[in-house]
Amino acid sequence: MQAWFEKVAKMFQAAFINGDRWKLYLQGLGVTLQIAFFAAILGMIIGTVLAFMKLSVRRNGKKTILAVIANIYIDIIRGTPSVLQLMIMWFIIFSSAKNGVLVAILSFGVNSGAYVAEIVRAGILAVDKGQMEAGRSLGLSKSQTMISVIIPQAVKNVLPPIGNEFIVLLKETAIVGYVSLTDLTRAANQIASRTYEPFMPLIGAAVIYFVVIKILTILLEQFERRLRKSDNR
Amino acid sequence: MIIVKDLHKTFENNRVLRGVNYHVHQGEKIVVIGPSGSGKSTFLRCLNLLEVPTSGEIWFDGINITDQKTDIDKVREHMGMVFQNFNLFNNLTIMQNITLAPIKLKVMGKEEAGENALKLLERVGLKEKADAYPSQLSGGQKQRVAIVRSLAMNPRVMLFDEPTSALDPEMVGEVLDVMKGLAETGMTMVVVTHEMGFAREVGTKVLFMDEGIIMEENTPQEFFSNPKSQRLQEFLSKVL
Repeated sequence: MQAWFEKVAKMFQAAFINGDRWKLYLQGLGVTLQIAFFAAILGMIIGTVLAFMKLSVRRNGKKTILAVIANIYIDIIRGTPSVLQLMIMWFIIFSSAKNGVLVAILSFGVNSGAYVAEIVRAGILAVDKGQMEAGRSLGLSKSQTMISVIIPQAVKNVLPPIGNEFIVLLKETAIVGYVSLTDLTRAANQIASRTYEPFMPLIGAAVIYFVVIKILTILLEQFERRLRKSDNR
Repeated sequence: MIIVKDLHKTFENNRVLRGVNYHVHQGEKIVVIGPSGSGKSTFLRCLNLLEVPTSGEIWFDGINITDQKTDIDKVREHMGMVFQNFNLFNNLTIMQNITLAPIKLKVMGKEEAGENALKLLERVGLKEKADAYPSQLSGGQKQRVAIVRSLAMNPRVMLFDEPTSALDPEMVGEVLDVMKGLAETGMTMVVVTHEMGFAREVGTKVLFMDEGIIMEENTPQEFFSNPKSQRLQEFLSKVL
């Protein structure tokens, strides 16, 4: 028993203490959070724009050219692996770029946008058709009704799946190791290959991801509860 | 006031309206009845272009509203509409529901709109609900608020699309009372309903729609006591 504890303590020391290795995890986490945070914002912007493009209809009820473009975008992004998209961005499109984090943010933002687009579109479509009709019948324009009535209700619909998308995005950044960025996952992997002891670094990284996502989940739940309170249901 | 000329509406392959002609005069209370699927709701929704007609023309106060160049939002400011499912804005309080359009469309200032809303709410006995949300109201209360919301724009005509069909029976009366009160103020009204008592009491004209046309039209007295077409006779024998 004693020997076992000693062994674990040694492993722990090798994985986290020696050579200030804990700093490497924190630096890695910093890269992970930076990419995830800015990619989420970019994804929200792209996704919202795409959603409205996709919802646009001409007076005769047919799709607009904007809707067709949005559809093509979403098809391509969802139809290819995100690792490949990242590698194409890094090795082909921005092959002369110096700042890998920026390219990763762009790549994940572009990717997330396609998924957010569908979430936002569904959230808007889930608002009862009668709400728009009532607004229009009073003389409000389509965009006035959208802003005052539809979007506030859509936000509530959209929140749970958007939270889900953020969580997926945060974890998916673990693939940036492919373009030689040192995020949390890659930092753990590097330490494991240096100490020849994969257990502590990998489990340690997993725990860090878990805690970060748990905190994010709690924040999202609180935000959602606050929104629900306002409509007394 | 509203002139409808040879109105047709086709959904996919379903010809819902097959040539409706009618003229609504100022101050009239037109009650439209008919079996379900007869096109009466579609007809009403065409009047403010919530449904865009396949062909035909609708004129409102001398403006051809079916003309693509007409600013339909401007026209709708003068046509109130009350829906079967109330369609109150769920994210807004009763007060905000009523004042949203008058303020946004700059018909009134914020204060004036608020005062006007309270006055109208008092008229329907719901002044104390001004700060409530729609989800806190009963069906009958919601529909009374919906009527007030339309009235807040000072419309020249009010359209009612089966306003009592989604209500529990004990709440039908309170909504009909508000509508009767409104009729007494001289408001021009077009009402699609199944309430025969209301048609008889309030209507100045009753229309019977079936198979996408107006099959019969008469004063309430004649309409109910002396129906001419066989279809109307059958219909009345079932509902009365």
